[in-house]
Amino acid sequence: MTTTRLPVADKRTVRQAAAALLRKEKRAVAIILALHVVGAVAGLAGPALVGRIVDRVTAGDGPSAVDKLALAIAGCVIIQVLFARFAQYYGHRLGERSVARLREDFVGRTLALPVSAVERAGTGDLATRSSVDVAAVGIAVRDVVPVVIISSLQLTLLFAAIFVLHPLLGLAGFAGLPTTIAVSRWYLRRATSAYLAEGAAVAELTEELTTTAEGARTTEALRLADERIARGVDRVGRQWRARRATLALRSVFFPAVESSYALPIATILVAGGYFYHHGWVTLGDVVAAALYLQQAIDPLDRLLQWMEQAQRGLASFARVLGVGLVPPEPRGATARISGRELVVRGASFSYPGGHDVLHDVHLDVRPGERLAIVGPSGAGKSTLARLLAGIDAPRTGSVSIGGHAVTEIDPAERRRRIALVTQEHHVFIGSLRDNLAFAAPGATDAAMLDALLAVGADWYADLPDGLDTLLGDGARQLGTADAQQLALARLVLADPHTLILDEATAALDPTTARRTEQALGAVLSGRTVIAIAHRLNTAHDADRVAVMENGRITELGSHHELVTADGAYASLWRSWHGSAA
Amino acid sequence: MPPRIPHPDPGVPDVRGPLRYMWWLVRRQPVRVLRGSLFGTLWMVGLAVRPYLISRAIDDGLRKGDTAALLTWAGVIVLAGMLLAWLGINRHRTMTFVREDATARSAALLVRHVARVGAVLPRKLAAGEVATVGGTDIGRVSMVLTLTGPGVGAVIAYATVAFALWQVSPLLAVVVLLGVPAIAVAVGPVLRRLEKTESSYRRQQGILTTRAGDIVAGLRVLAGVGGRDLFARRYAERSRELRTEGYRVGALASWVEALTIGIPGLFLAAVVWLGARMAAEGTVTIGQLVAVYGYTAILVVPVWFLLEAGYDVIAGRVAARRILAVLTIEPDRVLGGATEPQAAPAQPADLFDRASGLSIPTGLMIGVAADDPADAVALADRLGRYTATGEPGDVTWGGVPITAIELATVRERILVADHDSYLFGGTLREILNRGGARDDTAVRQALYAASAEDVADSVSDGLDTTFEPRARTLSGGQRQRVRLARALLAEPEVLILIDPTSAVDAHTEARIADRLRTHRAGRTTILLATSPLLLGRADVVAYLKDGRVAAEGTHADLLAGESGYRQLVARGSEPDTATATTGEISA
Repeated sequence: MTTTRLPVADKRTVRQAAAALLRKEKRAVAIILALHVVGAVAGLAGPALVGRIVDRVTAGDGPSAVDKLALAIAGCVIIQVLFARFAQYYGHRLGERSVARLREDFVGRTLALPVSAVERAGTGDLATRSSVDVAAVGIAVRDVVPVVIISSLQLTLLFAAIFVLHPLLGLAGFAGLPTTIAVSRWYLRRATSAYLAEGAAVAELTEELTTTAEGARTTEALRLADERIARGVDRVGRQWRARRATLALRSVFFPAVESSYALPIATILVAGGYFYHHGWVTLGDVVAAALYLQQAIDPLDRLLQWMEQAQRGLASFARVLGVGLVPPEPRGATARISGRELVVRGASFSYPGGHDVLHDVHLDVRPGERLAIVGPSGAGKSTLARLLAGIDAPRTGSVSIGGHAVTEIDPAERRRRIALVTQEHHVFIGSLRDNLAFAAPGATDAAMLDALLAVGADWYADLPDGLDTLLGDGARQLGTADAQQLALARLVLADPHTLILDEATAALDPTTARRTEQALGAVLSGRTVIAIAHRLNTAHDADRVAVMENGRITELGSHHELVTADGAYASLWRSWHGSAA
Repeated sequence: MPPRIPHPDPGVPDVRGPLRYMWWLVRRQPVRVLRGSLFGTLWMVGLAVRPYLISRAIDDGLRKGDTAALLTWAGVIVLAGMLLAWLGINRHRTMTFVREDATARSAALLVRHVARVGAVLPRKLAAGEVATVGGTDIGRVSMVLTLTGPGVGAVIAYATVAFALWQVSPLLAVVVLLGVPAIAVAVGPVLRRLEKTESSYRRQQGILTTRAGDIVAGLRVLAGVGGRDLFARRYAERSRELRTEGYRVGALASWVEALTIGIPGLFLAAVVWLGARMAAEGTVTIGQLVAVYGYTAILVVPVWFLLEAGYDVIAGRVAARRILAVLTIEPDRVLGGATEPQAAPAQPADLFDRASGLSIPTGLMIGVAADDPADAVALADRLGRYTATGEPGDVTWGGVPITAIELATVRERILVADHDSYLFGGTLREILNRGGARDDTAVRQALYAASAEDVADSVSDGLDTTFEPRARTLSGGQRQRVRLARALLAEPEVLILIDPTSAVDAHTEARIADRLRTHRAGRTTILLATSPLLLGRADVVAYLKDGRVAAEGTHADLLAGESGYRQLVARGSEPDTATATTGEISA
């Protein structure tokens, strides 16, 4: 199957989304900015007052003259602290609110994605967006944007203050700006990809260590130690190269920016000397301007440091928004279905970009029957199951239930009526109860226990907290076989009238699989069951068997009929249970 | 000078304790560390130079109206700025090299040790633990090495500023030199508390991220059985809980952030006030007043640095301890009580397992059907010498207790292929062909024998297609056949296969059974399975009941003569039992 990645939002969409976020919070944004301005202005008073002190002292005023000014500095600091605190607090709340809104939106949209779109894109892409990108946007909105805004604001006000002292001093203050801007642009164009590569290299090394640890027994059995070491050492080398690449960027960026900090200070002193000489400014003005520039280093540093992060946040934001660009699963024209007979008429199907994997398939599944589908790998069994479950629509022909095309039925209704369980099972993080309840909201504990019992999940007895036992990543891990039984128990709870089991017991050991299937059979009597299986005893137990080969159904009938007919199934059956029978 | 990474040989670490380990990392690169100290010192002292230069420019140039002096000092400021930038980047580069050398060394040690320690590892350590060690602990330990460069510099810079201040005014010097550290020490714990609150928030945030990933991973399940709304609602609830927690963090963080500006600000005001009074009295000059202002601001850098470094050491010690916990895991060197190591049989030899009474003649394909799957696994562990317990002579190989034979020899000649053995990432060729020992013809032959040609054919780049660890993009059946092909390609003298075809369809299983026989002709192969398709191809089948051999013979013999065996392997062909259970079959 070819993968088509999920879309990424373009610049305009990103801008619009950001603007929409801010529009929702117009009042909050205005208040926060106002508070910050007051705080920053109070912060600017320090150097100005030091300048005034210099003037007073130069004028020969006594010690008492400076007391009030020093007190004023302290007062300004207190004002700055108070305003900065509330500005930060409201800003923090705003960021927190926006991040929450964004991530809830993202998960909502992800859940609304049509399965086929998810499968085409591969879950890897989506998984990265849900973890790396949502987190990066979170950091950007909560931490980076405030720093960028505050630093920019402080810088603007600092330079404005120098202009207020004297416009000419202000101009002199810009002396270092052109180089800083040029170098920053150079750096930002390269930084994001370099830092992402560094992050990836670090993750690769960690993963290498983890897999080697996970596969320790296999490493020993197959004597793979030298190979594992070679790969690990290779990853160490890659991490080093990635780190050197970012270091090379910093080796240009840091010194260029750092050395340009001195230039405006020197310029202001020289220009200030000239202006002072002509009596256009006081000595205090020049001192204050020099101190302002010294004070500007800190926000400028922070701004430059976080620019790269901000840029990365923006790229992640585009990917997060991209998920919303996929049209959600259509609601479906048919809200309710009454009939139960599944009918396939002349269905052909191909995956995008591939040739047909199903050719002109005809099949009538009778309500309440158990139909087994057998055949070699790649015969199209799973594809047929997907068509029956309405995940994909046939290219030609039709798949209908009770006279309605399966894909036209409202997805929620469809899942309630037709359930598909595949080999791919997943234990969600949460309690065992959580893991069962979503299949049948409102199910009682007793019903859940019955369902577990029905699928032979005897491991339940070993759980420390019964239904409250926490499962999944980071908690108790269920083995593959147990997870499969859990998936089947969900099915029992969901109680659909039609079940499609695509190798749903493949991970169980043969004995347990057989037991589970039979127990399940007893619980599900009366339901239509379509079971794709590689174990022939499943076929033996079924009402009818369909044999698939090369995208076609080649034999169809009861086990007995097919054995009597002496075709492909019969020969397989004979070889399967040994020459003795 | 950049280190050569990866190191050809990381060396033998001092594992006697975390501090010793860190000191060992320092001792591996003495010249670089000294360079780091030099640049770190010069740079940090250099930070204090600018306020001095500005004060001279004001006093000698501006105030006196001496243009030449002003221009000279301004020029010196620009030059000093460049020099400072040069020192800064050299300090940063050298310290990056120091840290990276340590990181690469720790990583190489871990890689080597984890790969060599083998099967004992999962019993002693969770794989997640190794991830933490690799992902965070290595970096934390390397961070401590920063102390050797700017750390030394911070102490010297502090002393330099102290000297400069003393020149201006002893009183101011005492106030500033004691005040700045006092403030740092006072603010430090508050910052730490914030960091703790933050880290609890981040942990919760991490959990939420995991939840989102969990939903993504389970999307297909949700598509199969429904329940999407419930998950959306639950996620939103959790997200809002985190938001509330975030508000709490914000309330504290905003105070801390404001006070970290405010407290030094107030202190600075106090210093300015003192200095200004002195200037007004004529004890200090205007330029010196400006310099004091600058020094006080600059002094924050080394003081904060030392404080941070202190915390880094604490965290680094914990991290180093965890690294050592991995590095000191030893493989079980159990000789099973055997007094003397003995030589392995020179030729292929019979194996005998006392616990089950099973004896395995050479060169045959032996089927073992155990009524309890756990017995089969235990048997494989004993035969492959994976159990550390037991008596010598429990398993013998050509009459020699297997525990007395050198482990490497056992591993080389006897291969236990687990049902869920691990698939490492890499190209298909790399996955199959360990160390690239075999050519593509052999690889294709093994794929053919395992009926896994389709795996190479269905993917775009054939044998060059890369897979993630565990090869999750393959189906369960495909993975199983890849595992089988890999085991076959290793060509061991004795191959023990545990349920090698449980996830493949009957057509394929039949094919594998035939090809396996041909491929392993003349060598010992033990099949632990209950599939009649496989057992039907074995030369001899042993039926294990309650862990003991209950009957031996061909599959056909056992089917005919052993009802327990018949029940176990071929229940599908027993109309009576099938009908009795399901009641719906009309066979």
